[in-house]
Amino acid sequence: MPVTRAAIARPSTLRRVMSHSARQLGTLGGLIGLCVVLWILTPHFLTVSNLVNVAQQTSINAIIAVGLTFVIISGGIDLSVGSIVAFAGVVMASLLERAVPAPVAVLAGLGAGSACGLINGALISWGRLPPFIATLGMMSVARGGALLYTEGRPISGFSDSFRWLTAGEIAWVPVPILLMGAVYLISHFILRRTPFGRYVFAIGGNEEAAVLSGVPVRPYKMLVYGASGLLSGLAAVVLTARLNSAQPIAGINYELDAIAATVIGGTSLMGGQGSVVGTLIGALIMGVLRNGLNLLGVSSFVQQLVIGAVIILAVLMDMTFKRPKR
Amino acid sequence: MKLPYLSLLVANGALLLSACNRGDPAASAAGGAAGKPTIALVVKTLNNPFFIEMQRGAEEAAKKEGVNLIVQAADREVDVERQMQIIENLIERKVSALCITPSGSREIVPVVVKANRANIPVLIVDTRVDERALAAAGGKIATFIGSDNYDGGRLAGAFLVEKLGGKGNVAILEGIAGHETGDARLRGFKEAVAKAPGIKIVASQPANWERDQGFNVFQNILQANPAIHALFACNDLMALGATEAVAAAGKTGKVLVVGFDAQPEARAAIQKGAMAATVAQFPARMGAIAVQNAARLLRGETIESFSPVPIELIK
Repeated sequence: MPVTRAAIARPSTLRRVMSHSARQLGTLGGLIGLCVVLWILTPHFLTVSNLVNVAQQTSINAIIAVGLTFVIISGGIDLSVGSIVAFAGVVMASLLERAVPAPVAVLAGLGAGSACGLINGALISWGRLPPFIATLGMMSVARGGALLYTEGRPISGFSDSFRWLTAGEIAWVPVPILLMGAVYLISHFILRRTPFGRYVFAIGGNEEAAVLSGVPVRPYKMLVYGASGLLSGLAAVVLTARLNSAQPIAGINYELDAIAATVIGGTSLMGGQGSVVGTLIGALIMGVLRNGLNLLGVSSFVQQLVIGAVIILAVLMDMTFKRPKR
Repeated sequence: MKLPYLSLLVANGALLLSACNRGDPAASAAGGAAGKPTIALVVKTLNNPFFIEMQRGAEEAAKKEGVNLIVQAADREVDVERQMQIIENLIERKVSALCITPSGSREIVPVVVKANRANIPVLIVDTRVDERALAAAGGKIATFIGSDNYDGGRLAGAFLVEKLGGKGNVAILEGIAGHETGDARLRGFKEAVAKAPGIKIVASQPANWERDQGFNVFQNILQANPAIHALFACNDLMALGATEAVAAAGKTGKVLVVGFDAQPEARAAIQKGAMAATVAQFPARMGAIAVQNAARLLRGETIESFSPVPIELIK
């Protein structure tokens, strides 16, 4: 019997959405509170140029974190995103270096990222590898591939038409911010309004139940990791344009930042719960914190400490918040 | 709904605390409006003794010059994107001058251009900016303060040639590929060694500036080539890691290990005989000259476009 919308989505989704929007209000409150404190502490925070600055700095982590949000809602994890950023970046840059037109090179970069992600997905769906293991392997394979491909050297110096991706503006808004906005709009729509989105929740909520109710679990899981790879590829495009250079050692630890943003945003590492809006707020909290601590001249050691504390706090809050309701 | 408020309170409390902790100079500075100009020093990382020394020198000079100093760095030495963010944020903070040790010679160029646009002078310390990339982007820097790493590499090479009597097998531990600093040291070393035809470079592998990788990589090199007489590591951390691998193989004193940077621990290792020599740079002096030059620039004085910091072999 084919699955209807209601069969998998309705009963649990309502409650989920309710508790979720409450949770999101809390996270949003945290972000706003943070901004208010910074506004009081330093005159340099609440200026248009600084806010644009923060949004641009956040864009790379925020784009990767969308992919992780999908993966984590589906009950998995993707540790390979940082390495895929490096791999997709050097593939694209090597084409740009050979004077391939920028759009073609960008597509190749996105393709390289998606390919890595789809391989992850295939290993997990059909190879039955735990996501942690499959993506841990890919983390090393993609990094090694990037290093091998470039002999360890960065590829740099691109045309202005490519650099437009970072330096360009449409209606006063820098391109990376627009890209980030588009990614969030599209992914929010996919997650909340399409069968794909509902299947992702269903798989993460209870994979066996999803199988039994006829969700094509394997292909959809593969797509989820493919999407994560695609978004890592997009992040690579933004990063490469921003640095005017693609480094094989780029993106180290990016998976941790992206997981942090996702978790601060209220997506449960157990799967089945989460939202990209929360992730955006989570990524912004991290970006604003780092920016603010720089503006205040706080040492980098204290910065690490504060960010770690915020991650722990957010999840702690989540646990206490959810317990009475379940 | 108490919890959101709780989170808000705690997060902001943490922020306020850290803001209080950092002492008053940066707080009152507000872009130099309060009188004293604020100079920022952005190094690669603050968990490498080299840059901690640089910070110390800069702080002493800042006190003498009567300027405020902010020192910032990314968590990891190679994280040039994070370094870029820090510099962007300091530009927003409207510091009076920026002293930067680039984590990537080319990758730093876009943010140098941003500083130029904000009319903040940029002084480069220790690691050069790729001049072609800078020129292509239309950026400019006020000065470069640093040692000639190429000469340092030559110094190390000449020392090994002499010590080995002109023949033997030599291994090299490289830094991260594409780093101007390491590349220059490597070029200098290879050129000096090439003058002695009896000396063979049997292995040259990157250990990414890190101590644990220096240990592992050199252990592997020793496995593959037991008859190694000497090692040149492009920094002391890798050299110190390698000395442990030498000790583990029971060859202490039989493999001449030469490092670079003359960190206190490396000096101690030379005293004990675990290392043969190291090339001394003077990071504290680099930091001091950087701040002095920035202060002079802000007073309207002209400064040299290159301030060499001496280099010498410690053995």
